[in-house]
Amino acid sequence: MGELSDAEGNLYHTVARLGQHSPFVEVLGEAVTGLSIHTNGRTSTFQTPPHVRGAVFRAWTGTGWTEVCISGLDTPSLRYAEGALERVLAHRPPRQPPPGAPSTARIEKSTPTPRPITDMGEEEMLRLAQDAFSWTAGVPDIHETEVQIGWRLDERLYLNSAGARCLQSICRVRAQVAAIAQENGRVSSDRVVHGGVGGRELLNGVTPDKVRKAAETARALLRAKAPPSGRLNVLLSPSMTGYFAHESFGHGAEADQFVRNRSYLQPLLGKLVGPEILTIVDNGSYTGAWSEIYADDEGHPAQRTVLVDRGRFVGALHDRDTAAALGAEPTGNTRRSDVFSRAYVRMTNTYVEPGTSTYDELVKEAGNGVLLESGTGGIEDPQGGQIQIKARMGHLIENGRVTDLVSSMALSGRVLEFLSSIRGVSRKEDFVLDSGSCGKGRTDLLPNSAGGPYLLASAVVGQA
Amino acid sequence: MSQARLGDAAAFRVVDQLVGKEPWEVFGERIRRYEIHLSGGKVEMTRGPIALEGYDIRVFRPNDHGTGVGSYASTDFSPEGVTSTVEVAERSAKYATFPSPRVDLPSGRGATGGIVEVLDRGLWEYPMDSLDVYVASLVQAFEGRKEFALSFGSVRATLVETSICNSAGLRTGYGHTTVDLEVGVKAFGGPEGPAPGEYWVNESDRRLRPAELGIRVPEWCRYAEDVRRGRPPPTGEMPVVLPAPVLAGILPAVFGGKFTGPARIRGMAPRPGATLASELITVLDDGRVPWAPMSSPVDDEGIPQRRRTLLEHGVVSELLYDLLHAGAYDTKPTGNAFRGSASGFRSWYRFLFPPTALPSTLSVASGQGGTDTEIIEAAREGVLIQEIGWASPDPLTGAFGGEIRLGYRIRNGELAEPIRGGTVGGVALAPEGSPSLMTQLVAVGSRVGFSEPVSSPPLLVKSLPVGGEL
Repeated sequence: MGELSDAEGNLYHTVARLGQHSPFVEVLGEAVTGLSIHTNGRTSTFQTPPHVRGAVFRAWTGTGWTEVCISGLDTPSLRYAEGALERVLAHRPPRQPPPGAPSTARIEKSTPTPRPITDMGEEEMLRLAQDAFSWTAGVPDIHETEVQIGWRLDERLYLNSAGARCLQSICRVRAQVAAIAQENGRVSSDRVVHGGVGGRELLNGVTPDKVRKAAETARALLRAKAPPSGRLNVLLSPSMTGYFAHESFGHGAEADQFVRNRSYLQPLLGKLVGPEILTIVDNGSYTGAWSEIYADDEGHPAQRTVLVDRGRFVGALHDRDTAAALGAEPTGNTRRSDVFSRAYVRMTNTYVEPGTSTYDELVKEAGNGVLLESGTGGIEDPQGGQIQIKARMGHLIENGRVTDLVSSMALSGRVLEFLSSIRGVSRKEDFVLDSGSCGKGRTDLLPNSAGGPYLLASAVVGQA
Repeated sequence: MSQARLGDAAAFRVVDQLVGKEPWEVFGERIRRYEIHLSGGKVEMTRGPIALEGYDIRVFRPNDHGTGVGSYASTDFSPEGVTSTVEVAERSAKYATFPSPRVDLPSGRGATGGIVEVLDRGLWEYPMDSLDVYVASLVQAFEGRKEFALSFGSVRATLVETSICNSAGLRTGYGHTTVDLEVGVKAFGGPEGPAPGEYWVNESDRRLRPAELGIRVPEWCRYAEDVRRGRPPPTGEMPVVLPAPVLAGILPAVFGGKFTGPARIRGMAPRPGATLASELITVLDDGRVPWAPMSSPVDDEGIPQRRRTLLEHGVVSELLYDLLHAGAYDTKPTGNAFRGSASGFRSWYRFLFPPTALPSTLSVASGQGGTDTEIIEAAREGVLIQEIGWASPDPLTGAFGGEIRLGYRIRNGELAEPIRGGTVGGVALAPEGSPSLMTQLVAVGSRVGFSEPVSSPPLLVKSLPVGGEL
């Protein structure tokens, strides 16, 4: 954490000087390094996370927050930010204190890596990628194999005028192999993805067997039937269960939507919303998970927050402002995509806790319906209580048995209706957390993870 | 950006210090960004200046497989910083491969192909004041509307000086502005039930246009009210009308995945002359649409943007190329190299991303289907989709589909009750001989609408699967 440590003195003194013009000032500095490769047999490209160092200063004006961001941690850049912020604050003498209590946490932590990956260079990464590329060899109709391997070390230093200091260094590692089948112009694909916070050991999550199976699935999808449409019994795979958790009680429980009076969930806090078998959690402190953090970008420690406890909606995700407005405590969920983006209440690792059913029991219980697999995305409507999640593929369920492969589908419906239709959640041996990203609106993407086991419910499904 | 201003542009400052082998390219940006965020009609936060200045250096090195391309971006303009950036780029190039025997960098100064309107001068000179005026107008437009409210919003203005230099002698640059507007409009109450409906506005423009809010806000309110009233559609295959706002979420990703050099090199591009769509449709790529966010005098490699025909009466005409992919096929780049764009989304800072070939503004030519009313009459019984939550188009397969955020039943050739919920989807573009949205067109409207990054009249599709209530 050399560069941030080097700049810490300057950042500290800038905050101290700005503190003379505002009752509260904070700064977040960031430095990123890393390396990734993308190869498909025809082209190989490396991407090194750019040498971007920067900081965002936030200050309370007396009526609201104001921010100034700069690229560079050198003295001229910091002077520029300081001057710009002083000019804003000069016109707005403080009238009210800032909302809530500031963090006073002092945290310093780096990803423990028994097998560090930060020493992996281009040559070794290329060799690993070429190995993975070869794993689809021999599977007919595989037109292309895409391999992506990468690591990224994100260092963040948070300081504020109340004395908080959080210095964290998080190493994220991710590998993905996509097999793309093509026949007579028709294209289909499947992939294996594994990622998390850690070191080289995370690359072991993508194996030759898994890649070969994905290639065979991609090939089978060329001839897959179109999915059925309409209201059906739906069995969600772990990744689809994760999207459900993320889009329903993840976005719906971000308390900034409560403050804006635009969450259908707000009046339901404390009430039963689903069956007793349903528990949903957001957990930024989940060791090794893709979206693990040690502190959020307001200096609050990451934590496990139960959102739905055995069917009862019990908790929301808070930053300093929403906690103050709603009489709660910050939950360590204030996150910025980078130092140039504003902070929002954001999820970390959001998942459905395992239940008690077996996969076979859920298939039998479904009777007739569809198994939705390999989630590819979702979107929520916090106001209207609708969600949409999309599956790359699935299987028909007929007479209590999993039968034919079907192509991509979208599931949509009202969350509360979906919750009332949940009939089973499978056991912990099926539990999977993915490694994806999430935006707020159309922007502000950041690492995000969702997951769970299999979940049986009913919903409207259509081709997508 | 004036020539005097070009002198200290980001790329030019780097080139002054660049010591390295040719060929190379430097893409630079000096960015100022200002934002106002609203919560419930009140200012929640102001941001700015967000000052970001950086550059990306690309080097091209011949190797046994063609060319090794290495790039690295940085915000460090010191001599040591530039040297270090070149070193990382060279290291990547050493192990990278691209099947292009050569890269012909463009040369010349300011070869822009003419003026393209991409800079709002008032916003450029007075960014925060302009935003304040716009936000005040936005809030004022809701005053007196008791059944409607702003639930949240943000207006973000980005002011950029883009500069591009290369070892063939290119020295060019231009200034441009972008405004991103995100607003949630809520409609309350009504006999249909208490749940409020919310309509989301997500738009990008080159200009701040507060005067237009007087027209836009009532339209947004009407949509919000219809979201509140809407109910799921029936399930089944039916005629579907798709206007520009919906096509904007589908076509860029699908055409980007098929009609570009990267698609060709993957063996997934159609052959020129192939019939992929109804003869009713002609699709152009136009990088010179005035004020369109994807328009610019030159692309991100310094090649002038042009107007290209992708599909002419359903037949494939040409593909879009950046420098690298053009080199692989011994053809000319088409001015379609863009940084930081994917699936219709574009980052406000581009120097951190390598360029690739993508569509600019996709323009569907107006057809003979008549007015919007006549298109609806032609559908007879079906649905018009006004907004899809997320169409999630798959560039590989051409499939798309998502939740209907707002639409309307079409009954007996007229717009009827609003629909909300359920799904619509299908395959937007399929290989020759396979059915798709594009082959099933039965009418192309005559009135073109713009919804960044697509301009298109409404399209009437003979049949698409709709998932709703039984």
